[in-house]
Amino acid sequence: MEASSEEKAEFEEAEIKYVSYEGEHHLPLIMSLVDQELKQAFHKGKCVGTVVCKMGEHRNTFRGYIAMLVVIKPYRGRGIATELVTRSIRMMMESDYEEVTLEAEVTNKGALALYGHLGFIRAKRLFHYYLNGVDVFRLKLLFPRQELHYSVPVMTNRDEVMNMLIWIALEECSGLPYSEERMSC
Amino acid sequence: MADKAVSEEASMDGQAPKPTSIPVTDNTVWADASPLLDAACIGLRYGELIHGDNFNLFAAMSALEIMDPKMDSGIVCRYYSIDEAIENGAAPVPISLDSTIDVQCTIDIMDHLLACEAAWHKGHSLAQTVFSCIYLLRLDRTASHALLHSYGRVIRATCKAVLSVVSDARTHEEEDLFTMTYGLPLNGDGDEKCLSMLNAVEETISRQLRACKATSSKRRVSEDLEPLQYNPNLEEGFCKALLCRLRFRKHFFHVLTCMKRPQGRGLELARKHIASCISELEFILKSAEFLQSCSGESCEDDIDDKTTASGREPIGFDASLNSRLSAPTPPRAIKILSWKKAVEYFVKLLHDLDVICSYSLDPHLENLLRFVVQFQKSQPDLVARSHLQLLLVQDGKLYGRDPIFAVITKAAALPEATKNHDIQKNESILQLGQLVMNLLKILCTNAAWQRRKLGKILQDWRVIYLQLELALRNEFGEVSSSSNDENICMKIFQHILIWVEEQTYWIACRFLMLGFELELYSASEYCMVYWYSYAVLIKLAEKTHLKMAVSYDTAKRKGKKKRDSPKDLVRESRIPPAVLFLQCYICLAEGLTMMLAALRNEFMILQSPSPFNTEQEKFVQHFELLQRACIPDHASYLSFKESTTHARFSTLVMYNYFKDAQRIAKEVKSSFSNDPDRLAELRKLEQVAEHNSVALNLICRLGALDPSLKVSFEFSHHPFFATAVVRRS
Repeated sequence: MEASSEEKAEFEEAEIKYVSYEGEHHLPLIMSLVDQELKQAFHKGKCVGTVVCKMGEHRNTFRGYIAMLVVIKPYRGRGIATELVTRSIRMMMESDYEEVTLEAEVTNKGALALYGHLGFIRAKRLFHYYLNGVDVFRLKLLFPRQELHYSVPVMTNRDEVMNMLIWIALEECSGLPYSEERMSC
Repeated sequence: MADKAVSEEASMDGQAPKPTSIPVTDNTVWADASPLLDAACIGLRYGELIHGDNFNLFAAMSALEIMDPKMDSGIVCRYYSIDEAIENGAAPVPISLDSTIDVQCTIDIMDHLLACEAAWHKGHSLAQTVFSCIYLLRLDRTASHALLHSYGRVIRATCKAVLSVVSDARTHEEEDLFTMTYGLPLNGDGDEKCLSMLNAVEETISRQLRACKATSSKRRVSEDLEPLQYNPNLEEGFCKALLCRLRFRKHFFHVLTCMKRPQGRGLELARKHIASCISELEFILKSAEFLQSCSGESCEDDIDDKTTASGREPIGFDASLNSRLSAPTPPRAIKILSWKKAVEYFVKLLHDLDVICSYSLDPHLENLLRFVVQFQKSQPDLVARSHLQLLLVQDGKLYGRDPIFAVITKAAALPEATKNHDIQKNESILQLGQLVMNLLKILCTNAAWQRRKLGKILQDWRVIYLQLELALRNEFGEVSSSSNDENICMKIFQHILIWVEEQTYWIACRFLMLGFELELYSASEYCMVYWYSYAVLIKLAEKTHLKMAVSYDTAKRKGKKKRDSPKDLVRESRIPPAVLFLQCYICLAEGLTMMLAALRNEFMILQSPSPFNTEQEKFVQHFELLQRACIPDHASYLSFKESTTHARFSTLVMYNYFKDAQRIAKEVKSSFSNDPDRLAELRKLEQVAEHNSVALNLICRLGALDPSLKVSFEFSHHPFFATAVVRRS
């Protein structure tokens, strides 16, 4: 997520709105983001970043997993990725999850710095994890343990294959209201 | 294609197509679903999946079979089967009727196969690499082409040999694709005779080379020798190019065969073949110039990326033909190594194999462990590591030769005769033997996997220690026995117990050190890592020293008649060099812990405050496996904080651990004059100590006064002990 030398979007902090995934109508926004041939349109109201997470039980541990994080190039270096990830982690912490994990390529200095500042350690190195031969680090964040806390994580649903948590960063369109409705799918 | 056939049928007679094997019953009737399917095809847009009450997203996703040409209409192959490819001339035999082109193309095929082989070794599937060669998939077709046929046979036999070594060693966790063969034709009848076939071809070409050399010097030549190809000016060049390639294959196959011989009996001969391989590879590299010049194509800039020496594309390769054999996952596009990189790979592989073959098969476990650790520093690849593992652990014995119990008794510094003692039948002792073999196997895996495994076995080693301790107490109690035999049993147990502890701390140490090699620690975590390492190293030195002292004591007791000479007394009080070496480590670890702590305490640097957790969570995570095994006892986050809260530069300069390290390193050098590896390391340790000592003094004098000073820690001298670098920003 290093700042690119290409045209950087000019915007102020207040112009970025963060919304939680609301439904299928958000999917095309997310899909277009992860599409490599993203067209860089500069009109307002467009999705500039997203994070996709999974929350569930893994070997008796309630664990969150950050599957994907992307911010389009012109908007990098402004803390949007950090904000997206921070919101996700906060939600996991509030739901009494024990830890958060993800994989990051060993060469991805930006990601390693971002997660390092949030308290992740490099728990393991996985050799040739991706078939292009690149190693990855498994990053893990352990929440401080609250010894006598027996609350059940809010979002557990045994019937679901998994719980997804998605945050989207939208560049504000003047005059259009955004709903504060938050949900998981 | 299927729907086309159905709609054709439907339009022909307007009736339902005839059922094939499923008959109509009372409750069922055949109905033509083609119109429905057609409508669905038109109705579905890109990216949409069929959805129904009993057919959810999960089911729809599971039904997809991507990249299978029969199921995925998006996959367009040139040929849908090997036979179709052959019928369409993708792999002609002979390759060309023009013998010059035929020879050129044969050499290209050989080169590309080498590149494929290297790509396979690096972790890709056989199906997409070596067996992307259509000639290899139907080797019998090439019977009339002696060169191609013999080369193909040797390559097939070689791949089979390498595969069996890697499969037996099971060191290939991440390189999973390596061992999958899924119905590829790896077993050829008569492949054991492949070398004699190759020799015959080599002999023919050798004679031809001699003949064309004779012709050039205008001497008389035998009439019954057929030239390789039509152009007499190119004959010598082609003969040489072919000969080095054939010879490389021959010698490489010999290397594998020799190294396979049990108990390391073939190692010396293997070294000779390795040397031949390396020299043939040099000839192969040299042949590139000739091959490029006669290829007739312009010299492109990206010749270095090509998979052949000539720079031409080889004939007869198609990786997509095997896509159905590349299950379970759809085959990803892979890049075959360039020919140059492939040769480099084989040169490195051969050097690594040579190191293995030069090993003296030392029966002392501690020397072996040091050899393996040293060997791993050159980052050997999978094939080399597998060979090492198979050499070390064969038939439940070390080198297939030394029973594990004998290895243990030697490592525990017990007398030679102990190896025959009945105690080896004890359940816990047997388990210990298994742990030792497992440890040796783990040490041959790649660094990342190795560290994970070492962390896991710490628990096992702790448990075996407790089991042995319990057995000792149960059998002999606290009181020393009167029976001589029981006395010996007790002594053996005691020695082994001390050694088990020493070995456990050694594993813990390696676990921590590998973390640096794998770059698992960030700079803000160095302090706690060095602190923990210091705690482990202290225990390791203690146990090592204890083992040596106990063994000396035992030896002394055995020779009851000898009286203590002054020399013996001196020897007893002197610290053994191995322990001094560890003490050097200890001083450096302590020095670094304190320096890092002082930097944090006084200058607030190398901290990493996080919004979600504290340093304690990071401590718990990094050392979880060690803590679980109580290695060492009482190494908690609290004790870490207590040890480091009061670190200040003013005191550190007075109690300079780095100076101690320097002194010890100097002192102990003479004891290792016959050990070049340890001497080299001692020199590095001295440098670390010196640089850090200077940095310490600098920071103490100027740190508070000059805020522009920046301190970083780099591994410029030693892979485990960092050197502090002080710069002005």
